[in-house]
Amino acid sequence: MNLLSQLHFAKAAELLIPSLLSGFGVVIKATIFGFLLAIVLGMVIAIGRLSQLKPIRGVLYLFLELIRGTPLLVQLVYIYYVVPLLLNLLAGILGFKTDVQIASLTAGIIGIGINYGCYMSEVIRASILSVDKGQTEAALVLGLGKYEALFRIVIPQAFRSIIPSLGNYLVMMVKDTSLLAYVAVNELLLRTQNFASQTFLTIEAYTYLALAYLIISIPLSHLIKYVEYKLKTN
Amino acid sequence: MFSIFNLEKKYGDLEVLKDISMYIGEGEVVCIIGPSGSGKSTLLRCLNLLELQTGGKIFYYGKNIDAELDTKKLRREVGMVFQKFNLFPMFTVLKNITYAPMHVNKMKKEDAEKLAMELLTKVGLADKADVYPVKLSGGQQQRVAIARALAMNPKMLLFDEPTSALDPELVGDVLAVMKQLAADGMGMVVVTHEMGFAREVSDRVIFMDKGYIVEEGTPDKIFNNPENPRTQEFLARVL
Ligand SMILES: Nc1ncnc2c1ncn2[C@@H]1O[C@H](COP(=O)(O)OP(=O)(O)O)[C@@H](O)[C@H]1O
Ligand SMILES: [Mg+2]
Repeated sequence: MNLLSQLHFAKAAELLIPSLLSGFGVVIKATIFGFLLAIVLGMVIAIGRLSQLKPIRGVLYLFLELIRGTPLLVQLVYIYYVVPLLLNLLAGILGFKTDVQIASLTAGIIGIGINYGCYMSEVIRASILSVDKGQTEAALVLGLGKYEALFRIVIPQAFRSIIPSLGNYLVMMVKDTSLLAYVAVNELLLRTQNFASQTFLTIEAYTYLALAYLIISIPLSHLIKYVEYKLKTN
Repeated sequence: MFSIFNLEKKYGDLEVLKDISMYIGEGEVVCIIGPSGSGKSTLLRCLNLLELQTGGKIFYYGKNIDAELDTKKLRREVGMVFQKFNLFPMFTVLKNITYAPMHVNKMKKEDAEKLAMELLTKVGLADKADVYPVKLSGGQQQRVAIARALAMNPKMLLFDEPTSALDPELVGDVLAVMKQLAADGMGMVVVTHEMGFAREVSDRVIFMDKGYIVEEGTPDKIFNNPENPRTQEFLARVL
């Protein structure tokens, strides 16, 4: 094979794979914290949008439009580069001299968590609305409060129905952590870029990178299908 | 227990209850009959504040339920059974019954479970304690729902067409449980199409039509000597 003899997969593996393995740690960290943030934010937005108070609904709706109308990559860059500048500028106007900076991973987690939280809030809201109103009423007439009924009776039922779609968001989020490379998070893509530019083993490096994502996302999506199946059969 | 004066309920421009005045005594069994859409459910739901009245006054033991009474306290004392049972699907039968006593009344788990088993025995379902509601027939689910309401030790129960969602052969079991409750002295307001039950069990029957109480009286009066032509017409159709 002429092609293979010109490529150096073994050499690339030797140098790149240990780096990718430490990159896995970053990806997992970003995904876990990003997803937790997204779930909490998604719940807060979903419940807020079901509120009887119009101003709360209005503000949340505007926020959703803002986030859904701009790309995740732009949001990440904005949080990492622009927000600190704005804060410093603002402090300067007030007469303080500051040098606020956001650690790149923190910025990445916040950005991805907010973005996913907004999309997930719609799924969560729809699932809460899809629970039969009779469930809330049954809880209320037993003397439970409005929030007890929501959190203990309605939301547990709602969550059962959305575990599959939350799972899909999780898999998407793992892949989207590659965008964090643009805010200097040393995850898989950034490591691969650096490696390729130093060694010129471009084909080998990016092939390994693609494989690395597959190694995470394929088992993860099967795990989610399995959980979904278990939930259905129970 | 309940004194209702000139109760009125509107949804937008739609007047669903018009000038309803009535009294419900302690331990009394009142059946509400009438064509569908006449406001029976709405009246029942105004009593425990699932719907908010738009006019008139409702007093519970002399207290205005709108203003002077804690809604949760009212609901603890006045239980409700729905047409569609509304059992909690993620809980077993036992937990459906123990949940509110434990979380609302702060009853200890073992006491709540003992109570639940007594109530399940009473409704003839002691063997179903560990089953999930989906595994039960409609009639069994409704009897569990009654046990769940009873577990709060209510002074009175509201029933909104408790047998209307059931297959005909399952209606009898539920009615039997309700008859037993009436015999035990439980106060009940029952919206129903089961005229046999209304005739046999109630102290008083109320006929509603188009948002008004058209006629009320003893079962004998309503079923054997209805005065109002609308009552006569309705009964001619359903009996
Ligand atoms: N939430 C609601 N919004 C608007 N109209 C309603 C609502 N609930 C009930 N209604 C209307 O009120 C009327 C009485 O309803 P209901 O009390 O359910 O009657 P019944 O129980 O006697 O069949 C019906 O015309 C119904 O369409
Ligand atoms: Mg009704």
